[in-house]
Amino acid sequence: MKKIISFILGSLFALNLSISAANAAANEVRVAYFLEWPSPNLEDMQKKNFAKALGVPVKWTNFTNGGAMTDAMLAGDIDISYSQGLVPFINAVKSNAPIKLVDIAMEYGMGGTTCVTSNASGITKANATELEGKKVAVPLGTMAEYVFDESMKVVGADRSKMDIIQMDPEEGAAALVSGDVVMACLFGGNSIKAAVAVGSRLLTVDEARAAGILGIDITSVTDKFMKENPGMLRTFIEVTHEANDRYRAGKSDMNAMSKASEMKVADMKETLSGFKFLTPEETKQSMESGNLDAFLKGMGTPGGNVDTSFLPL
Amino acid sequence: MLTQIVTILIFVSIIGCILYGRRLIQTEKVDAVFGNPERAKGGTHWVIVGSAAILLVWLYYSWDIAKGFYPKSANELCQVAKINESLLGLKYQFPIEEREFKSTSIIKIENKNLKKITSEIENSKDLNSQQKTILVGFINKTKQLIPLLTDEDLIEIDTKIKIDEMTKEIRLLSSNFKKQDYPFETNDQKNDRLKAISEQGEWGIITVRSGTGSIENTIEVPFVAETAKGLKFQAAAEELKIINDKFFKLRNHNPQFKNSIKQLKDEVKAYRKNLNDSEEIASDYAKNIVKIARRIEFASIYPPNALNEMQNAIIEFDNLQESEQAGLRLIDILLFPAGTIVASGPSCSEQGSGRWLPKPSDTFNKFVLMSKPSVGYKNIPLLWIEMIDVSSIIGFILPDWIADILPGEYPVHTSEGIVKENFKGKVLKIVTGDFKLFKIPVPYGHIWDSFLRVFLGLVFGIIIGVPLGLFMGLNRFAKGFFDPLIELYRPVPPLAWAPLIISVLGIDNTGKVFLLFMVSLSIMIISARAGASGTQLSKIHAAHSLGASKRQILRHVIFPNSLPEILTGIRVAVGMCWGTLVAAEFLAGTTGIGFVENVAKKYFQYEVIWITIFIMGMLGLLFDVTLRKIIDKTIPWRGKG
Repeated sequence: MKKIISFILGSLFALNLSISAANAAANEVRVAYFLEWPSPNLEDMQKKNFAKALGVPVKWTNFTNGGAMTDAMLAGDIDISYSQGLVPFINAVKSNAPIKLVDIAMEYGMGGTTCVTSNASGITKANATELEGKKVAVPLGTMAEYVFDESMKVVGADRSKMDIIQMDPEEGAAALVSGDVVMACLFGGNSIKAAVAVGSRLLTVDEARAAGILGIDITSVTDKFMKENPGMLRTFIEVTHEANDRYRAGKSDMNAMSKASEMKVADMKETLSGFKFLTPEETKQSMESGNLDAFLKGMGTPGGNVDTSFLPL
Repeated sequence: MLTQIVTILIFVSIIGCILYGRRLIQTEKVDAVFGNPERAKGGTHWVIVGSAAILLVWLYYSWDIAKGFYPKSANELCQVAKINESLLGLKYQFPIEEREFKSTSIIKIENKNLKKITSEIENSKDLNSQQKTILVGFINKTKQLIPLLTDEDLIEIDTKIKIDEMTKEIRLLSSNFKKQDYPFETNDQKNDRLKAISEQGEWGIITVRSGTGSIENTIEVPFVAETAKGLKFQAAAEELKIINDKFFKLRNHNPQFKNSIKQLKDEVKAYRKNLNDSEEIASDYAKNIVKIARRIEFASIYPPNALNEMQNAIIEFDNLQESEQAGLRLIDILLFPAGTIVASGPSCSEQGSGRWLPKPSDTFNKFVLMSKPSVGYKNIPLLWIEMIDVSSIIGFILPDWIADILPGEYPVHTSEGIVKENFKGKVLKIVTGDFKLFKIPVPYGHIWDSFLRVFLGLVFGIIIGVPLGLFMGLNRFAKGFFDPLIELYRPVPPLAWAPLIISVLGIDNTGKVFLLFMVSLSIMIISARAGASGTQLSKIHAAHSLGASKRQILRHVIFPNSLPEILTGIRVAVGMCWGTLVAAEFLAGTTGIGFVENVAKKYFQYEVIWITIFIMGMLGLLFDVTLRKIIDKTIPWRGKG
């Protein structure tokens, strides 16, 4: 009996310790990023410039969605998430996740994230209220959901009357092709290509821009890393902005970037053409009173989760 | 309140059952030797201990015990966490929680980096000796920056004074912190705080957003200090934050250092300017050297003894705040296992097991809330009934083409704009269910949808699989013909089919039921076949010699003999179907338990995730218990031959 009790107590103790000590001080920086979502600093990633600039090894891990980035950050496996979507970030801070927004990775017109209606349904912007009562595929909790919400406001359709199906972009595209849904909201070059083959964009890129629908990807960081290594975080953001400068000056190494993002150079250039990489000054403006600020307020985000002090101004 | 009672009940029942069990062993007359299954009979008291232990672990690791017995502890720990948050940056500068000074470790890392870059430059084949000399010169200059920062004599008076000021502020805070009435709150402040408290709610509240009926994650841990002890920590945290910010604004840059680094930067700049495009490698190296210099510039490097006073003050305060926590510290260690409350900017949250393991009480409350048909999940109740007219069921069953094949035409409107009904039109109305009969209640909702999918998949699997399996067990042609097909698709994990089936058959029920049908079919075929071929030959011979026909042998000998195998197959199939269903609902869907879990995950609603897990567990158990009853009824001879 004594043995059993001491075994139980011992294992309880071990469990308590192991969970709380999951993220002890690290001698490397762990960064999350996306494939097929190119950015100038991926060149530095490919050439190991981040490791040189930060003075410690930098480990890059690719993810498929921003929510998974948050999960990994909370579990202590990731320190910095680069180009996390703003919507997953907002969902995370709404559930009180201890992460902070420290930089804007990029702003993009909604060329890369859009809603496509099938041609067979005959629904366009003009008769979009016909969407009500029909099935639409939306990847919930992502930037595409935001685009969906905003687009519905623009065309005057009521979201709550639709049958919203949770589908990731690839499946949404497949469902649109097979006619299971009349509209699919999606992101990612390949999915949009497949969807547009049987349908058309509800709002064109220009219309979306005119309606103020804008995508923002951000850099988020765990509280712990921010407090522990403010210098490294500053350097990380600085190197990123240097890469953005280089891209604006047309001096980026496109081959290295395409290798890092696992895209063909031509496809990557097309995707990049929809992105806007802000200068540090523009970033600060956007974070304090511009697009980002408006976005956060519009989504009812609790305040105090944005920190501009790491920008290289 | 409920949690407290339950916790005490659990302890009482565990101790009671253990005592009972021990007494039973002593008083019981044991005839059975080891190995006799009789020894495993009975033991309800151990079932109670087992369930109570699960519940206890859940209550403990979800911190529900803490919430039940010390409802204010989360709020107080939140205030303590605020202090930790404010102190964290400062603490990392000193060997308090780390092994060495931050300055020391930075110097170590940068020296290593400088060494590495030196050896790279010296061994590089792309650089000529002149470039190498210049670059190594830069490196040496960078190296010499460090002693400029760590020399006790060079540190500026101004910096020293500022460090002293901060040290004094921490000391003052320490002495104030000991006082009973710190932070000397005025009446106005108190009223403001009380107002904020009344607005913030309690630990772990759930709200339903009116209108849409969706359940929102709300404040996990109340943020504003509610107790006198908490208030102390909250006020101290605010003061510490100011000191912390001040410290990180301070730079130990004496004039010599400033000159040296400026000189170095200018030199590198000039050097890089004069390089042409072919010498890019040298330029890159120079740039990297400057980066190291800048890291040294912005790191808070101080002489080894300059911050001693401050370190002592911080350690003193840290110890003080720990001793002021008193009982709270014990609660934190004992009742908040595997994690604690963490402050982050404008909110406090549970981090650790309390985050992903929701409290039983919260989960229960949320479940009750979600069970209300008006709330449900995503506007669909979990399980409810709907009044549906029988006509629509008739319309669903009867195929529409019945009306099409009747002679005659559908009615056409006349020139007066009147539509006159004819027989063909009336038939169409009946087959499409466009008429009124009486209404019957029909269940609907997430649970029902999932249940129905599994049930239909299973039923189709049995209807087709059992005869086919028996046939295969008795007939050479059937065995040979169907065997390749079954053996090819059976070993594939059912989920591997899911994406394909969903894109072929669509995201509606058809695809999901078909997937489950595929799962159950192979299992049913295999078990029916095994049952049929496993029939004892002597029984068949006996039936034969008594003059039984083929049909009678099948009906009265082979089928009953394979029933145990078939029913075991059904039990296996139910389990497999559940597993597959949830994953299939993950892929696409608007209803179902898997859909609920998938969406809840996107919004970090851990309670909902656990609720779905329990529902699935309960439904699976229900299926299994029902089947066990059926097995006991239909094949009472099983396991007794």
